Amino acid sequence: MFRRVLAGIALALTACFAQQNPPLAKDPGAFLPPAPAGRGRAPKQVAGPTPHLADGRPDFGGNGAWYPGFNGNVAEPTWKGVKSADKHVDVPWLPWTLATFNERVNNLSKDDPEAKCLPVGVPRFMFDPYPFQMIQTRDQVVFVFEGDNYLWRIVNIDPAMKHPKNLKPAWLGDSVGHYEGDTLVVDVTGFNGLAWLDQAGHATSNRLHLTERYTRADSLTLKYEVTIDDPGAYLAPWTASNTVRWRPGMELMESICQENEKSSVHMIGTPDAHPADASKAGASKK
Amino acid sequence: MKAWWIGALFGTTLAMAQAPPDLGSGGVWLPRNVSDIAGKIDPPFLDWAKQRFLENHASKQNDTASRCLPPGVPRIMFQARPFEIVQTGNRILFIYEGGAHVWRQVWMDGRAHPKNPNPNWLGHSTGKWDAETLLVDSVGFNDKTWLDDMGHPHTEQLHVTERFTRTSPAAMKYEVTIDDPRAYARTWTTSSTLTFKRGERLGEDICLDKLSK
Repeated sequence: MFRRVLAGIALALTACFAQQNPPLAKDPGAFLPPAPAGRGRAPKQVAGPTPHLADGRPDFGGNGAWYPGFNGNVAEPTWKGVKSADKHVDVPWLPWTLATFNERVNNLSKDDPEAKCLPVGVPRFMFDPYPFQMIQTRDQVVFVFEGDNYLWRIVNIDPAMKHPKNLKPAWLGDSVGHYEGDTLVVDVTGFNGLAWLDQAGHATSNRLHLTERYTRADSLTLKYEVTIDDPGAYLAPWTASNTVRWRPGMELMESICQENEKSSVHMIGTPDAHPADASKAGASKK
Repeated sequence: MKAWWIGALFGTTLAMAQAPPDLGSGGVWLPRNVSDIAGKIDPPFLDWAKQRFLENHASKQNDTASRCLPPGVPRIMFQARPFEIVQTGNRILFIYEGGAHVWRQVWMDGRAHPKNPNPNWLGHSTGKWDAETLLVDSVGFNDKTWLDDMGHPHTEQLHVTERFTRTSPAAMKYEVTIDDPRAYARTWTTSSTLTFKRGERLGEDICLDKLSK
């Protein structure tokens, strides 16, 4: 009986939110006009089977790098005119995260921490146009990134999946992982709540807890799935996913965002000033 | 009958003999803080370099590291912030907690430096083993970093040779030779000792967090 009452209250609350929620901000549209078909495409690679290390663990490395490309919205299959995440997700917003998301989309993400050279955070680096590599040792998986300030992330392999106590809030959180067959499962907590989940502007709180699953489906394909459990930002856990391609032979270059950084102060976030929006600005403003 | 384990033992010993020295799995290295890497050495400054050194030291205003840019090499090896060494098949990675959360790669696959490297903050590094010592050769630096906190300058001609020798499980000898014919009349060498912290992990320290507050 009590349970039914609770369920009833939950349903009523959800309905309430559904009614009160303002509409979700629209995709701001493509950055650039589409390029002529077939231009600049690399020759198609033939995928081999999932490679393995000598001891049977899946091998996430090799001579090359992973390159997610630009995926601006973790909850939409297309965003800003290009392919984004693998699938659409009905995000279980709390009112503040929906309002924040809409504000960020409407002001063209002008306050994006990434634009100020701060770390993109997890899981966003799996949706961002920076190549990365995964280096596996016996007790760690080290991610090294070309982007941002040329940063790194360490996942400590621990079958007990135990985090240290009293974690200091961090952009990248504390990561522990283990292998489940061909999948690397990573549990991440200890976030500072400042990172965005994507360029569009899905917000996080410092209660963010992620479960990531990395599966090298074949030699050229990394399947990534992340469950976002953040009671400070979303009503319920939700799962986003992306497919990341392997670039054979790619090596990472040093890229220091902070070098001569003078752009972020000029980001004013006026949609009318955005060339791609100039033609539609009149139509959307009424 | 028990020949298999003799064989296994022999095989393992052989593999261990061939494997390169372990430069620090299972822990992190802590450098000593050395603000003046020349110490008692009188570096063979060219005139302009001496002038620049005095200016740098007096004003500190040209210190790009204070704006959260990478401290460069060898300065990052003389700052008391832990780092981890990750040895893989064709590379050795240095993962730094301090100095802008950066990493550095040393190519161990026998490749040469690029002919015309794009000058950058951490250079292009190749390495090889000299018995138990890791020899790292780096070029391709920009001229925006200092060699140390004191402000010893260098140019894009900087060529750094580093020697890493693990003298005991807890200690590593670090020796670095500065070769920059545009800033110093001769090469000069300095050294330090790194301490191993078994079981410790790197933390996250984002320099820009402090700059923006």
